[in-house]
Amino acid sequence: MHHQHEGKLPTRNIPIRDFVSDTVCIPMGMHLGAPSKPCVNKGDLVKLGQVIGEPVGGLGLPVHASVSGEVVAVEERQLLGAAPGMCVVIRNDFADEWVEGIQGYGNVETVDPAVVIPAIKAAGICGMGGASFPTHVKLSIPEGKTCDTIILNGAECETFLTADFRLMLECPGKIVDGLRAVMRALNVKRGVIAIEDNKPEAIETMRKAASGREGVEIAIMRTKYPQGGEKQLIKAVTGREVPSGKLPIEVHTIVMNVGTAAAVADAVIDGRPLIDRITTVTGCVQRPANLRLRIGTIIGDVIGECGGFSEEPGKIVFGGGMTGLCVPDTDVPMTKANNGIVVYNVKDARSVDESPCIRCGRCVEACPIGLDPYRIKHYCDKGDLEAAKQHHVLDCILCGCCSYNCPARRWLTASFKNTKDAIALEARRKK
Amino acid sequence: MKLYLSTAPHIRSEADTHVLMRDVLIALLPTTVAGIYYFGLSAAMVIAVSIVSCVLFEYLWQRMTKQPVRIYDLSAAVTGLILGLNLPSTAPWWMPVVGALLAIVITKQLFGGIGDNFLNPALLARAVLLASWPARMTGATAYALPTCWSGADAVTSATPLAGYEASTLDLFLGNIPGSIGEVCKAAILLGLIYLLVRKVITWRIPITFLAVFALLSALVGQNVLDELLMGGVLFGAVFMATDYTTSPMNPRGQFIYAALCGILVCVIRNFGAYPEGVTYAILIGNIVTPLIDKYDKPRLYGRLKEQKKEGTVNA
Repeated sequence: MHHQHEGKLPTRNIPIRDFVSDTVCIPMGMHLGAPSKPCVNKGDLVKLGQVIGEPVGGLGLPVHASVSGEVVAVEERQLLGAAPGMCVVIRNDFADEWVEGIQGYGNVETVDPAVVIPAIKAAGICGMGGASFPTHVKLSIPEGKTCDTIILNGAECETFLTADFRLMLECPGKIVDGLRAVMRALNVKRGVIAIEDNKPEAIETMRKAASGREGVEIAIMRTKYPQGGEKQLIKAVTGREVPSGKLPIEVHTIVMNVGTAAAVADAVIDGRPLIDRITTVTGCVQRPANLRLRIGTIIGDVIGECGGFSEEPGKIVFGGGMTGLCVPDTDVPMTKANNGIVVYNVKDARSVDESPCIRCGRCVEACPIGLDPYRIKHYCDKGDLEAAKQHHVLDCILCGCCSYNCPARRWLTASFKNTKDAIALEARRKK
Repeated sequence: MKLYLSTAPHIRSEADTHVLMRDVLIALLPTTVAGIYYFGLSAAMVIAVSIVSCVLFEYLWQRMTKQPVRIYDLSAAVTGLILGLNLPSTAPWWMPVVGALLAIVITKQLFGGIGDNFLNPALLARAVLLASWPARMTGATAYALPTCWSGADAVTSATPLAGYEASTLDLFLGNIPGSIGEVCKAAILLGLIYLLVRKVITWRIPITFLAVFALLSALVGQNVLDELLMGGVLFGAVFMATDYTTSPMNPRGQFIYAALCGILVCVIRNFGAYPEGVTYAILIGNIVTPLIDKYDKPRLYGRLKEQKKEGTVNA
């Protein structure tokens, strides 16, 4: 699907700049897995990079203080989900003093490969492209599986977002270092940085940074949403298809976001935990920008930094136009996975009414997986989970292409998401 | 501040049902203008009565059955225009009205409204009118000669398919007797180009339809160009076989459907009792469509045959 809604122009050529706010509210549940357990109390003084949340369970990750200062609250706050989540609120003293004991492991080409994955876990890194799966778990290859290719996702096919693009332009070395660290840790010989052909500057910069680095290559891909989807990327780079219901490791591949790779480089070289990330702020704001934001920055502060709203906001979305998540209000904090804040005006935010399917076939043509969205929607509307499953609703990657293209404005993707959730819930109940 | 919440995607393409139907109306404009140019005001009357009665029937039915009124999606207007273009300019005023009733109420609304009809409404109406009043639809007196007619035979005449002689240029420009919309092939091609450029339809159905038809016509020894330019095959392939609702959803299915239509037109024309077979060919294609959709599935990602052999896919 080539579409006109790319929306990257306002921020494409704006360099990354730092923004640090007075207060941060750091959620304990930013990664996929059980939320971390707060290990500081109200009134404590914390330093930059200090662990404030301890990992819980198999997918657990530590959470670090993203500013130095006083803990003013440890309480539940409204986040993106339905139920409030535990957060640690810190008032910034702007000293930016690092906690003791932060120590790097040195050059990624000479470091002991065995330290890489523990360093990634200690730095609290999870997938920064949106899914927020703990990176050390992703890099732990299950018994009997092998990996021969690591793909760094620099496609950034999502609409509006330019965070990965700016990162590739401004920190290309770090991205390659992160890739090399992971390649050495897993003893993988091939690392591919995949970039869409609408980012020629990024291709050029990354190619320079990768030249002379062992096993690192750049793959140029056609600009076509959802090219950066994990399954599409693997197919485009290796020609392999991930079997239905399986993980990429099944086809000997691991995919990571370029932002995650840069965070890995920081963790290995400097021992620096993940305390900030690059986020595109665009849409109805006075000065769209690419900001390096501390984790836990309240989005109201971010919008203030960008000059405030340019018209009355109707909807604020974390992420791009095709897959982003709506925020309930401007008090919600930034998480590790948040690559964009997009503000829509009231007109664009208004919900569209479904009308009857006219059987135009656009959803079938748009689906990158090869589903029959119109038919699955029929079963979803009837509540027939079994039939929806038989028509492979579980293979849906929720890219939004069918809904985007539907002339009848049907909420295809939304009903697939609900159905997938309902099927998962039923499976859990049966257990 | 009140913020809306919704699930993704947060953006939608510009092309909604209304825009698509408007584009079809625009694509039909050259054909309509050509028809009125050749057949005069009576053609304009037939078209106008047809559109008005289609929209009116849709409105009344939706009010009567307490459904939301959807005439603004323009689908009834499209049906009305296509129905009008399918009639001869000599049709009495009540014929488009009866046709509209058949198309909108019987074929479309009784089966569930837009998207749920299994036959092309305008085509079914044409087929019923054809069977009920054959003389008024295609008989020797039905087709008025174009007002700028220059042929040797100065009396009214049957369609070129019924043994009529006309030059290829006249066939192309529409300077021949026939239904209002089917005569001017140049205008139909303009409409086709517009539909393709605006991506309202893909090339798959019209081109496959015409290609298969041309190939078969050549095989049975006909003059391919004349066959393509005579009767309603071009109009049918561009504007009627491409109806979303009654054609298959998947690309491969569309090829099968279009090829079937092409074959049927050729068979009916050469071996059937009728001189023209486009109406019935497409209607049969419509009927086969659900079957095609049932068995023709797009290939799913992650279900490669080779990988199955390797045993990496659990069935």
